Amino acid sequence: MTAVEKKTSRTLLLVLLLPGLLALGISFVAPMLWLLRASFSTSALGGGDGWTLDKYSEILTDPFYWRVAGNTLNYGVTVAIFAVILSYPIALFLARSTSKYRGILTALAIAPLLTSSVVRTYGWMVILGDRGVINSTLQWLTLTDAPLRLSNNQLGATIAMIEILMPYAILAMLSGFGRLNSQLEEAATMLGANRFKVFTRIILPLSLPGVITAALLVFVLAISGFITPRLMGGGRVFVLGTEVFQEATVTLNWPLAAALAVMLLVLFSSVIVVYRRALRALEA
Amino acid sequence: MSNKHVTVEKLVKTYPGSSVPSVDHVDFDLEKGEMLALLGPSGCGKTTILRMVAGLITPTSGHIWLNGQDMAQIPVHKRNMGMVFQSYALFPHMSVAENVAFGLEMRGVPRAERADRVERALDLVKLAGYGSRRITQLSGGQQQRCAIARSLVIEPNLLLLDEPLSNLDAKLRDEMRDEIRSIQNRTGVTAIFVTHDQDEALSMADRLAVMSAGKIEQIGTPRQIFDYPATEFVANFIGAGNFFTGRPTGARTAEVEGLGSITIGQDIPADHDARLLVRPHRFTLGAQGPNSFSGTVTHLVYRGETLTLDVEVGARTLKVDLPTHAGALPERGQTVTLSVSPEDITLIGAQQ
Repeated sequence: MTAVEKKTSRTLLLVLLLPGLLALGISFVAPMLWLLRASFSTSALGGGDGWTLDKYSEILTDPFYWRVAGNTLNYGVTVAIFAVILSYPIALFLARSTSKYRGILTALAIAPLLTSSVVRTYGWMVILGDRGVINSTLQWLTLTDAPLRLSNNQLGATIAMIEILMPYAILAMLSGFGRLNSQLEEAATMLGANRFKVFTRIILPLSLPGVITAALLVFVLAISGFITPRLMGGGRVFVLGTEVFQEATVTLNWPLAAALAVMLLVLFSSVIVVYRRALRALEA
Repeated sequence: MSNKHVTVEKLVKTYPGSSVPSVDHVDFDLEKGEMLALLGPSGCGKTTILRMVAGLITPTSGHIWLNGQDMAQIPVHKRNMGMVFQSYALFPHMSVAENVAFGLEMRGVPRAERADRVERALDLVKLAGYGSRRITQLSGGQQQRCAIARSLVIEPNLLLLDEPLSNLDAKLRDEMRDEIRSIQNRTGVTAIFVTHDQDEALSMADRLAVMSAGKIEQIGTPRQIFDYPATEFVANFIGAGNFFTGRPTGARTAEVEGLGSITIGQDIPADHDARLLVRPHRFTLGAQGPNSFSGTVTHLVYRGETLTLDVEVGARTLKVDLPTHAGALPERGQTVTLSVSPEDITLIGAQQ
């Protein structure tokens, strides 16, 4: 390639990248910068000329926000663990299946993504509510006198979030199961491994990268969610997502909402860094 | 059943939804220490047979005996067979040594003995010192060796190889061909391998089973298969040839259209036309013996060791390979006389 050709191809590259960079800049980078600026703002709606660390010190000195951060982590970890455990068999089945219905089954497994999570949360309210399907059935069978507390609390928010995020977990696992193949299982069997050994020595280690990706994705989506914790929590579940929403739309304290969002971002990033390290150690 | 090491009896596999069996009443057996090649075009059922012997596919009917034991009730992981897969199927998350040790670990072999046997197995396949490497750090040929070591270290009753050389480049293939044969001889392991490559089958196996459409066409030593093919399919699949139809005119003579009367080295059944085969390199230049034909050279390729000719004799074109030498060689357009001795004319399907 001559120098002139190299130059044209680089110009071409920039021209081709431009629309994407522009879209990213307007829809992602600019709002992020504005968010950062707003968190240091002195005026209530995030504008103004002043800079202050007030909101950060407010957050860091108030035990309530520490509890919220701890609860958010706890919520994310619980949802991630259960979503991964429940999705793993489904994803493994779909990845290993040779059935002609595999495509349809995969589509069905991720079909819930076609509905908004608001609608699915309402669905869970119908199932888990005090007069919901489960409680009315139990009471009709006279197994319980009073309704079980399945909704308007952390338990309900967790159950609903697990189911809502399972399709993401399944998708992430399916894309991470690339190293699984039936010949490796056959080879292990020929070498004397029974089904249990094939699973623990071959399938599990080879599927671990997919599991870790799925866990990370679910965790990130769970700690940033606010619709499900808010609707299923009945105002009693406090996570960073709901607090940001509260401050931004109810209290109208935008700098505080922005500072909380930044804290959430810091939480995300630190978890992602740790996870990437773990994943790289696993693949090496 | 017989007292052979391996006996396969009336083996049939019909896949669900298919009306034609993929493997159709196949019988063969192996002596201890013997190497058998299943040879045939793709889709002839050879891999299906191998996988049924391994236990990875359940036969529709028929029996597989190993060491006097019916394999039907023995699950795959207890058959103690070694298998080298076409893709090698090495475990990517384990080192070379861990791969080789896997079968021993499954058998509960103590750690110290395991290390010892792994080392000897790696030595056998010339991979000594490679134990701690990752699989991805090995070349294709080394992966192949590692797969062989992994399947031999368990001291299998039977070694199965599925197209073992197809993923290697030509030079490495020749090298590994000799290598596999030598390892098999040294360990004395009984082996079945599947291939579609006739050279591979002829040079590696003690005996060959030539397959077509789920059936074994012929089973025999490389010499039997090459020189005395039982069917036209076998004659065609292994090596090149000139085929003629001969109308019997005497005990050992037949009339071939375009060539005239031909004398062959064995008795021809008088009641039907005979199919005859002459391999291209069995022709000699000049008039000798009872079978000689004159014709014009229409096409000629110089290949170094041989000269490949098309010779037009009447309406027929003969494929001829002649050894080269320093003197004058036939040229295109030249009229040549070719001879073939009666013994070099094969009666297809004759009993040996």
